[in-house]
Amino acid sequence: MTQNRRAFMKSGLILGAGLFVPLAPSVAGVVAAVSEQELNDWVWIASTGDITLGLSQCEAGQGVYTGLPQVLADELDADWTQIKVRFVTNRDAYRTSAAHEPLQQFVGASMSMTLFYERLRVAGAQAREVLLKAGATRMGVRPSQCTTRDSRVLHAATGRSVGYGEIASDAARMPLSSSPRLKAPSVFRLIGRDLHRLDTLAKVNGSAQFGIDVQVPGMLYGAVRMVPGQSGAIRGIRNEAEVKALPGVVALVLTSQWPKPTINTVVVVADSYWTAQQAANKLELDVEPGVAADLHSTRILQQRKQALDNDAAAVVASHLGDAAAVFGKPCARIVSTDYHTSYLTHATMEPVCATADFRQSEVEVWGSIQGQDMVREWVSRLFQMPQAKVIVNTTFLGGSFGRKYVPDYVLHAVAASKAVGCPVKVIRSREDDTRHGYYCPAMSGRLRAVLGADGMPEALHARVVGQSLYGAIKVDKVKEAGGWDETMVEALYDLVYQVPNLTVDAIDVKQPIPVSFMRSVGSTSSVFFLESFISLLAREVGMDDYQYRRKLLAANPAALRVLDHVADVGGWRTAPAQGVYRGMAFNVYTGRGEAFQTLVAMMVELQVAKDGSPKVLRVVCGVDCGRAVNPGLIRANIEGGIGFALTNTLKSAITFADGVVQQSNFHDYPLLSLAEMPSIEVLILDSDRPPQGCGEVSLAPTAPAVASALFRATGQRQHSMPFEF
Amino acid sequence: MNLTINGKPLIFVADAAKPLLWVVRENAGLTGTKFGCGIGMCGACTVYVDGRPERSCVTPVSAVEGKSITTIEGLSPGTNHAIQRAWIEHDVPQCGYCQSGMVMAAAALLQRHPQPTNAQIDETMSNLCRCATYQRVRAAIHTAAKYKD
Repeated sequence: MTQNRRAFMKSGLILGAGLFVPLAPSVAGVVAAVSEQELNDWVWIASTGDITLGLSQCEAGQGVYTGLPQVLADELDADWTQIKVRFVTNRDAYRTSAAHEPLQQFVGASMSMTLFYERLRVAGAQAREVLLKAGATRMGVRPSQCTTRDSRVLHAATGRSVGYGEIASDAARMPLSSSPRLKAPSVFRLIGRDLHRLDTLAKVNGSAQFGIDVQVPGMLYGAVRMVPGQSGAIRGIRNEAEVKALPGVVALVLTSQWPKPTINTVVVVADSYWTAQQAANKLELDVEPGVAADLHSTRILQQRKQALDNDAAAVVASHLGDAAAVFGKPCARIVSTDYHTSYLTHATMEPVCATADFRQSEVEVWGSIQGQDMVREWVSRLFQMPQAKVIVNTTFLGGSFGRKYVPDYVLHAVAASKAVGCPVKVIRSREDDTRHGYYCPAMSGRLRAVLGADGMPEALHARVVGQSLYGAIKVDKVKEAGGWDETMVEALYDLVYQVPNLTVDAIDVKQPIPVSFMRSVGSTSSVFFLESFISLLAREVGMDDYQYRRKLLAANPAALRVLDHVADVGGWRTAPAQGVYRGMAFNVYTGRGEAFQTLVAMMVELQVAKDGSPKVLRVVCGVDCGRAVNPGLIRANIEGGIGFALTNTLKSAITFADGVVQQSNFHDYPLLSLAEMPSIEVLILDSDRPPQGCGEVSLAPTAPAVASALFRATGQRQHSMPFEF
Repeated sequence: MNLTINGKPLIFVADAAKPLLWVVRENAGLTGTKFGCGIGMCGACTVYVDGRPERSCVTPVSAVEGKSITTIEGLSPGTNHAIQRAWIEHDVPQCGYCQSGMVMAAAALLQRHPQPTNAQIDETMSNLCRCATYQRVRAAIHTAAKYKD
């Protein structure tokens, strides 16, 4: 027996029962069953009539597991009650690009439906056409005499029909049209309907498999121990021999934390996660602190405050007219306010985790993975393996919000597996997940306006400063844009409000802190700044949130439609009950590189407790996200987005002291609880526009709408997030 | 050590301090019960010990030796519990990771309070959900209460 197998047996396996649950075929990449016919990159039909639809977009809670197959099944005319979904990978058909970047398979920027709607319609229609032809041939009739419905080809004149399963192999041999005829929306059978989610059953009975649940034969477990701070290297492990000798411990593997090459991580490999984590906790590391050793939130904020005054360093992101000249006029009525946000962490309920098997000539990984090609690229680069030899299996993700696009945790598992020569599942503790995340960067904003005689802004100057996300991870995008990061100035540089003179500028205040995309990206900050300021201006001139925005959006009927509908349904014009206060906000969310346009208006109602803390009672959120493929999924994303945003708004932040993140778990990074969740009404406005993104869109308006309501209640403005009361 | 999990006896070797959560997930291979925080705050690890809801990540296995454990897999082998049916009706789960614990907690609440008020739901349902499915959790609990009538 090998050392590894012996160690594994010691973990105390149950006697007699089957321990290893093999991965369901649905998460093992494109693995076709023996009698399945592949019609194209997305549709497999077995002779039994079982239809499997390919899903390239990982399911992280946003609902693609249902919404995308819904599109495909409609054009295919498949029987929705009989379809299965299989996660697929490793083909160009599954790749796409955000903002003109190289093709990759990934989920992000609320783009799945926008990018795949047409592609899946074509795939479904293509397959339906050949099935129809094959069915007609089988029945000895002309295709023009046939229709398709519920996985059958029908010949109305004779009442005969043939199931897709019976003719799948004939159809699979026929050439596919690259421009099949798509259904007219009036004959959609599935698209537009509130179909129940396909994954709910598995998620209420414990059978849904997440990355943390993966089990492969011969697998060991890993826990992670990193340098305590945001920088630094491990110089040595003082008690290495002692920890290695602990029962169940197999190896201590030194590795790095992507993208830094520094050795700053130990993966403890053992026969159970518990053993590995206990051992990891016992490690005494000799650490060289590195450049972030004195990182401190107070100083980080100070640096941003200084940057707000640094005209010379500001890079103009967009400008209209001549704001400077208007500001320079004598007697200009100027309003100016500074705002600040905090670093935030994703806090996915499932901590990051991956399983890897480093074999001689290939690497196989399993996990909650948001960027399949990111994993291939980096495993290939760091482990000298051709990308074609990196097999990526994607499970359900226990939340991601952008976190699981970063490949660090997968690389840890690969390093561990390579070191011990068998599969290893590496699970990050909540503490490590919190302290070594890829944070949403904090920002500061200065908003200034010159108010005209009519109370409307004649000129607006918006400056956002902070650690630039693109400056850290997409430097070429900054160069392309001319020195600024679009995420920092979302909703500002492409201002929807009518202001004749506008300057938007930004300064990258670099910090040695790992940052990455988090749900709603820069809008969490920039829209807090913008919408808070707009509400402030409204009050300066004696108007309310709604009236003032109506005037600013007067030339934008699509925007007015959403705003008005929320005001109507919300009851904005009638006074709220005693002790209830209201605020409103508006946002146009455009994803990355203006990939789409989703319009959102939000009204918040809250009460204030004696201690000054707000209780958000009700949120009415109107959204125009183009054609609603599945209204239920949109509503869930809007509801969940508001709940997610309320944690950012009211409860939690990541702070630094002596280079170390001060938070570690849910006692000091609390999440919104059920008792704190408001009741949410979602109004989906009809639209003929193609589907637009909706996964992130309800976050950004939440904070400023709450702030505005709070101001009404208490007379106190919120300049910082999370709010203080 | 021995336990009964979902009616089946389990004999295993483990450290007395090993949390029940990891015995369930690793020794018994039942991965429906989830790890979220390790400090008993999120509730993703909720199981029943002799019928009572407990957070298994902070329950050393030695404390439950000989007892009867119910996990999400054992709540209703046909996925027929009123809570589960209500969860399906309302499409409660988004990512779904917290939902094993959420369902176990809600089922236990319904056992104690067959017609729970919103205040009782607020007090009892302290399970965390990052996707913030809370509105539907609340609605589904009320629906489940009606099913049970």
